[in-house]
Amino acid sequence: MSDKAVQKNTSKKKKGQWSEVWRRLRRNKMAMLGLTIISIFILLALFADVIADYDEVAIKMNTSIRLQGPSKDHILGTDELGRDIFARIIHGARVSLQVGIIAVGIAIIIGGTLGAIAGFYGGKFDNIIMRAMDIFLAIPSILLAIAIVSALGTSMLNLMIAVGISSIPSYARIVRASVLSIKDQEYIEAARAIGAKDTRIILKHIIPNSLAPIIVQGTLGVASAILSTAGLSFIGLGIQKPAPEWGAMLSSGKDFIRQSWHVTTFPGIAIMLTILSLNLLGDGLRDALDPRLKQ
Amino acid sequence: MFKNKKILSLVITILTLSLVLSACGGSKGITRKNPADTLVVAQGADAKSLDPHATNDQPSSRVMKQIYNTLVASTVDMEIVPALAESWESIDELTWEFKLASGVKFHNGEEFKASDVKFTYDRMLASPSVSHILGPVKEIKVVDDYTVQIITSEPFAPLLSHLTHTASSILNEKAVTASGEDYGQNPVGTGPFAFDTWQSGDRITLKASEDYFQGAAAVKTVVFRNVPEGTNRTVGLETGEVDIAYDIEPIDKNLVIDNAGLELIEGPSLSSQYLGFNTQKAPFDNVKVRQAINYAVDVQEIIDVVLEKAGEVAKSPLMELIFGSNEDIQGYSYDVEKAKELMKEAGFENGFKTSIWTNDSPVRVRIAEIVQAQLKEIGIEANIEVVEWGAFLDRTSAGEHDMFILGWTTVTGDADYGLYALYHSSQHGDAGNRFFYTNPEVDKLLDIGKTEVDTDKRLAAYKEAQEIIVADAPQLFLYFSTQNVGENKAIKGFQLHPAGHHSLYNVTIEQ
Repeated sequence: MSDKAVQKNTSKKKKGQWSEVWRRLRRNKMAMLGLTIISIFILLALFADVIADYDEVAIKMNTSIRLQGPSKDHILGTDELGRDIFARIIHGARVSLQVGIIAVGIAIIIGGTLGAIAGFYGGKFDNIIMRAMDIFLAIPSILLAIAIVSALGTSMLNLMIAVGISSIPSYARIVRASVLSIKDQEYIEAARAIGAKDTRIILKHIIPNSLAPIIVQGTLGVASAILSTAGLSFIGLGIQKPAPEWGAMLSSGKDFIRQSWHVTTFPGIAIMLTILSLNLLGDGLRDALDPRLKQ
Repeated sequence: MFKNKKILSLVITILTLSLVLSACGGSKGITRKNPADTLVVAQGADAKSLDPHATNDQPSSRVMKQIYNTLVASTVDMEIVPALAESWESIDELTWEFKLASGVKFHNGEEFKASDVKFTYDRMLASPSVSHILGPVKEIKVVDDYTVQIITSEPFAPLLSHLTHTASSILNEKAVTASGEDYGQNPVGTGPFAFDTWQSGDRITLKASEDYFQGAAAVKTVVFRNVPEGTNRTVGLETGEVDIAYDIEPIDKNLVIDNAGLELIEGPSLSSQYLGFNTQKAPFDNVKVRQAINYAVDVQEIIDVVLEKAGEVAKSPLMELIFGSNEDIQGYSYDVEKAKELMKEAGFENGFKTSIWTNDSPVRVRIAEIVQAQLKEIGIEANIEVVEWGAFLDRTSAGEHDMFILGWTTVTGDADYGLYALYHSSQHGDAGNRFFYTNPEVDKLLDIGKTEVDTDKRLAAYKEAQEIIVADAPQLFLYFSTQNVGENKAIKGFQLHPAGHHSLYNVTIEQ
């Protein structure tokens, strides 16, 4: 067999595995609903500038049209400073998704590495890392995030760092658990036998095989990171004003809830739909990636 | 399928009906839920302490006003009238003599005497939070049981106004000594209401004092409830759980006005809001930049949008009811072109980056947002930093800030209290001058106002000082807020005091 043929063969095999997952996922109606909603939000966020200009619509005040209900010009109405709520929600989606995904990325990279080291080497490493994680876990994650943001100051980057750091322990635990179960498999022993280095074993064999639980946890994690971000913004520790952020919109709209329900309702619905869709998708992925669970 | 539709239409009908019915309710009077002789007052924060020397914040003062009396009191028209002192005279430039009322009893049964006055003011002078209110008072001399002299180290014209402050309330020596550290939770005064219980964070209950020296109050029990959310205070009024609600949110005002069972009382207050500059930090050390910002912000828009019009544009530091105010000052008007010109002259044609600090009060955050948007027009990019209240005070008094939003209430109604701490160069930082503003001319005029006994000369000094301050613009002058209170229509006799602490002595409840 030539090199090309080997490549073709493996890629076909890989494709086969993922298409099987996709086939199973497609059968799950709720998961598909979640995927559809989250895709719509992602598309809105990507094309936010095309749909509504940031400087001219999303943050431009026009106090003469403040607190107006949904209408043809402003399909979700205007807020207390006369800004278009729809434009703010789609630009807010950009912020929320960005913070959610990057925060989870930070948590997966740091937590995953720590978990992999702990699981792979065991012994002293394992003890030190996991006891440190236990201490982390003892602090409620939202409190930890509040402490980090107050210490670093409010900015989008700090928000990502805060939310990311506070969810490190859960990834460390998951990765460690799956590394422990993979570590004694025959193919690892085989790799070791042909003299592969630890880094190669971890990167080439262990991580790809422990990806499934990370994907599931990551999807659910984005949801909880978005929720944490909204929570932090709600109490005034979010990103810089006047940038739109769902939690901050919810918070400033709550004063007007009796006169203008839409100011606080629509950002709330946006948060709810995003979290719900990510959770549905995450559950669906779990079932699709591990078919034994269903049987 | 048919069955489902039936159920659906039933549900829709019920929902519609309940909406219609709930919208109809409440148009005719609101039945009070409290006992006939119990008055429930809701305010936005719990008292910190009921020891007048331990704190100088409004929620505490509002409760202390009912428990204590001062030697002299100010009426709602800011006139000074006798209270525990029956009469007073100025013996010489440095000595005031007060004749005290006799037969006044403290709530613990002790009789009020000159020794209590001496004890109180000596203790007050030793308190870091309120000693500044007594200013240059040096010594309290007991002449006899009902005569007391206050001696100052230099002439101190606004003394009487300062003695009307709730922090100058008279305490009982025996009660303070007996409670020690816990006095703030066991206050004893001579006022119309005696302290009963305090459920921290929830409510403070006061009982009418039967032998109050001006006659017992009509209401037997007063409950101060802590209701932080403005919306909930209005809802409390609407459900009849609350009789009087302090500080109705601007947006809720119409709900109270339109409700046939409620009444909204509005009146002037002695407080002004401002956006201060750190005048020692570039670029705010340049007076042209400070003036440019004053021209660049449309304050009327802030009042319309954030306060629902409940305020008056501040053209000078003091509102008209305060002694020493200068109504001839024209101040700054909204003029973007002029602002741009001044920025150009100052060498900031392309603007600069800076920050606005505020605490997390929704009104102040909204002000910051509008100012941020309007400063963008003249090229200034301002970040809004929401800083927790304690840290906000600490860091602004350390001078770490660029711009900050804060208010000041001239509780005594005299320009000395309203100007000295804010603009005198000896008061930099924590004492009140967070602009770090220094102008020897202003210092001189404020010193004259503090020590000069001649009323006309004081007035002239204060008027001139304010002209200089407005020209120097250490702050963006925002507004003088009007204050409001919502009450059940069954409540009679409530009057707003411009200082923000309202006496409940004359309030009655109609059945």
